[in-house]
Amino acid sequence: MKNFVVGAIAAIVVLAVGTLGYLGLGFASVGADAEPPAWEAGLMNSTVHASVRRSAPRMQNPLAPTDETLIAGGKLYLSDCVGCHGAPGKPASAFGATFYPPVPQFPSIGTQYPEAEVFWVAKHGIRRTGMSPQGPYYADTELWTLSAFITRIKNLSPGVLNGIQQRSK
Amino acid sequence: MKNFSLGFLTTIAVFTIGALGYLRLGLAEVQADVNTPAWESQLQKFAVQASVRRSAGKVQNAMPTTDDNLIAGGKLYLNGCAGCHGKPGKSPSNLPEYLPPPKFSQAGTQYSEPELFWIVKHGIRRTGMSAYGPFYSDEKMWTLAAFVKRMNNLPPTVLENIQPKNP
Repeated sequence: MKNFVVGAIAAIVVLAVGTLGYLGLGFASVGADAEPPAWEAGLMNSTVHASVRRSAPRMQNPLAPTDETLIAGGKLYLSDCVGCHGAPGKPASAFGATFYPPVPQFPSIGTQYPEAEVFWVAKHGIRRTGMSPQGPYYADTELWTLSAFITRIKNLSPGVLNGIQQRSK
Repeated sequence: MKNFSLGFLTTIAVFTIGALGYLRLGLAEVQADVNTPAWESQLQKFAVQASVRRSAGKVQNAMPTTDDNLIAGGKLYLNGCAGCHGKPGKSPSNLPEYLPPPKFSQAGTQYSEPELFWIVKHGIRRTGMSAYGPFYSDEKMWTLAAFVKRMNNLPPTVLENIQPKNP
């Protein structure tokens, strides 16, 4: 039993010293323009999604996805998100690709996050990515229009696509 | 000896399963609008600085530090960096405190010029710092590195000349 405890303590020391040594000697690669190994990217991705799922409000979008809602959300999207996330009907954002993790290009891949999660991410941002919190700048209602738009971005009616390009009077 | 190995392996297994479980259950906090625990940001900073130091190499800035080069770097800075990193001589914009980009206009930087050059070119993974290598020539990024390094110590002529001209 005594040896078991000694073994356990040895393992903790090895893990701690190994981790600190690896990091402190600069072996963790940090360039945003090189791909990390797939297992690492996959682990980060599932961690973020699991955390968002746990934190996002358990509710449906209080706004109905009318054309009016989608157009309001689309205008927000065009004014604040396109720079990194890409515009509908345009090539992917070259700027968004220079971050790591790379910025999801919603117009081409859509999103697997449901509306409440998109809302939560827009409001609070994601730590250790380039995604900053928009909560200080927008009302919840505006962010709900945005999440309605983003979750439907691959399936927008021509009326909505047209509407978001119009200047508001 | 058998018990020692058993204890060793059990502990490794517990740590691995514990870490994966913690992450998979969504217990790791990811929201960007609250402060990260200090030990966590310190550890990240420690690893990032060590890695940048190892990667940047020993190449020195080949451009002379003339006013012209600093002005060129300063114009790039105002155009592409000031939004997150703050304007020289001004208190850092209206960015909330918890946003992590270093506010050069307040704190300067501990990184050397070659390290700044490397960061601008390659970005830093898992931060909002993107890679500018695809957009700027090495020469331009060296002017930027020279500027950022001296940002709180600029000759008045440089400060004047980087401001956009009022029509």
